[in-house]
Amino acid sequence: MRIQRIAAVARFEFLSVVKRWSYLLTTFGLPLFLAAVSGTVLGVQTYFLSQRAAESSQFGLVDEAKVVDRSSFVEGDGELRWQANDKADEVLLYENRDAARRALASGALRAMYVIEHDYLTTGKVLAIESEKTPLLSMRGTSIEPLLRKLLRKSLIEGRLDGDLHQRVISPAQFVRSRLGPEGEEVVALDEALNLLVRTTIPLFLGILLLTALLSASGYLVQTVSTDKESKIVEVLLSSVTPEEILAGKLFGLGTAGLIQFAVWSSMVVVVAITASAAFASFVSIPWGALAVAPLLFILGYLFLGSLMLATAALGANAAESQKLTLGWAMLAILPLMVLLILLEEPNGILGQAMTWIPFTSPLTVIIRLSVDASGIAWWEVIGSMLVLLISTWLSIRVGARLFRVGFLLTGTMPSLAELWRQAR
Amino acid sequence: MGVLAYRGVSKRFGGRTALDRVSLEVGTGEVFGLLGPNGAGKTTLIRIGLDILRADEGEVSLFGAAPTPQTLDCTAYLPEERGLYRRAKVRELLAYLGRLKGMKRAAARDAGDHWLERVGLSEVADQRVESLSKGMTQKVQIAACLMNDPELCVLDEPFSGLDPVNVALVTELIEERRRRGRTTVLSTHMMHQVEALCDRVALIHCGNLVVYGQLDEIRRRYSPHEVMVWTAMDLVALGVEATRREAGCWHVELPSSATPAGYLNDLVRSGVLVDRYEPLVARMDEIFVHLVSGGR
Repeated sequence: MRIQRIAAVARFEFLSVVKRWSYLLTTFGLPLFLAAVSGTVLGVQTYFLSQRAAESSQFGLVDEAKVVDRSSFVEGDGELRWQANDKADEVLLYENRDAARRALASGALRAMYVIEHDYLTTGKVLAIESEKTPLLSMRGTSIEPLLRKLLRKSLIEGRLDGDLHQRVISPAQFVRSRLGPEGEEVVALDEALNLLVRTTIPLFLGILLLTALLSASGYLVQTVSTDKESKIVEVLLSSVTPEEILAGKLFGLGTAGLIQFAVWSSMVVVVAITASAAFASFVSIPWGALAVAPLLFILGYLFLGSLMLATAALGANAAESQKLTLGWAMLAILPLMVLLILLEEPNGILGQAMTWIPFTSPLTVIIRLSVDASGIAWWEVIGSMLVLLISTWLSIRVGARLFRVGFLLTGTMPSLAELWRQAR
Repeated sequence: MGVLAYRGVSKRFGGRTALDRVSLEVGTGEVFGLLGPNGAGKTTLIRIGLDILRADEGEVSLFGAAPTPQTLDCTAYLPEERGLYRRAKVRELLAYLGRLKGMKRAAARDAGDHWLERVGLSEVADQRVESLSKGMTQKVQIAACLMNDPELCVLDEPFSGLDPVNVALVTELIEERRRRGRTTVLSTHMMHQVEALCDRVALIHCGNLVVYGQLDEIRRRYSPHEVMVWTAMDLVALGVEATRREAGCWHVELPSSATPAGYLNDLVRSGVLVDRYEPLVARMDEIFVHLVSGGR
């Protein structure tokens, strides 16, 4: 094979695809769209949060029932104040409703709460908001659980001993566990979060890998159909060998696919870095999977692409070519079909078997590395890549021969015997 | 040794024999006519010659050896079923096709521009192929075919879809190639073009080589033993045998022993005032129909 000819085909095919609006829109538009949506959502949230921060974070409390434990309050500026949390939220104790109402009306308070005289029998606490406060905003206010806790503490103060006192205030702290082979195993919160991140990222990465693989393969099917439908096939074949055309198309369109994958997966990397920074203490990012993903994409694409090209060449038009290549695509998405099993048992028999099948190995290896990298041996990763490499070499060899036969077909499909004879 | 030679080439598609032990040779610098009815096997023969298809039996030699990617770089092919990438720009497409023939990028671009000028399409160089007319597209394809100045050029129906002006242009391009010692294989159903351009021809029918050789010799071989005599005199009245008059000239079937030159001598000697005299030579379309229809 002549490198210069392959490069010429690759360059032409690459430029033909990347100049298309649909490609540019899919490659750069999708992340930009997602970034725009996320940015808008974050921007709106930030705006409202900053608005809220600018508002008064003081609340008024009128204790008409005289039940609130004053020991939590400290005196300052002639008023009793309770620092409700480590944020700036502060509760001011008023002796009567009128004083609190005046403070609310002046904008010094965001809201006022009145523990009415008959509170002990009714349990009612009157919540009065400022006129400016949106109707729904008080429902989720963070001060109310704290007031509830304050009331609970005040009601039992001095009536119960230490532990019982604590349990009434905080009745249950759930400790979650799973029944494993060695009995019950405690699942810490960080482990659950870790698993969540570990399964979300590979799932996302896997879907991206598969989408990019199928997208690049789709370009291959399209280009063969274009060649056949535009009847330029013979001109090409009189200048370059089928192997050179096949290789050129694979490299050219593969590069376009790789760029697409790189742009898309950069989103995953950004998310991963963000997650890593935010949850560094208890979540580990599957860097191993992220590192081998480009290599697996290239190998998986070359393997699947050469089969797709050869098969697509047998179709008389684009629709027929797509039908013929559907089988390969179905095999490639097999790991997603059994994703639940792979997530549950990444290193089980199914996971191990699919690691060695060239159609399923790219996605399976990524999932296994992401979910439980300690369960997959390095020789399995290298071995699966070697199998993929050998399969790719074989599929290019056989694919090029079928490509030659199929490329010139304009009418009926040749028999399987004829195809076999040509492919040898 | 010819530029392109087939020796006992056979090709079957399933149960159908497309070519059956065909042997022929295309000589250097000639215009070789490859003739035959539709489905005769011409395209298969061309494809095998250019290594697009492989023969089941027999041998092909290109420039004296089995076709290789290197020897194929010295060839060009304009297939009958032709097309171009519709969305590509003309100049870029020509540069690409030149690159596929091994030309350097700058050389391919220059050659593309030069040939677009030759075929009168410089003004559409930056247009997309889909915006061109059928005739213009055909000329772009011919330009693509000739841009690397190939030693051997195979043109399958190069005149179809062209107006008379462009037919003359393509004819001139083929003539120019012959003058420069380049070989052209011309496959066409336009027999007057074959007569005007070809040095030698081969006629394929049902996968078999039916006729092969010098064009003049073949035309003579299939011509009736007749001469045409233009004279104001009545040849029948003068006692000339087997004579009929058609479109102002007398057709005389010669005795098997007579030659046209000898017969002219006899006529003049017998006092016939001959205005014009011409041995009747069969036209290629007549030979074609005769051979393909089996004389029906």
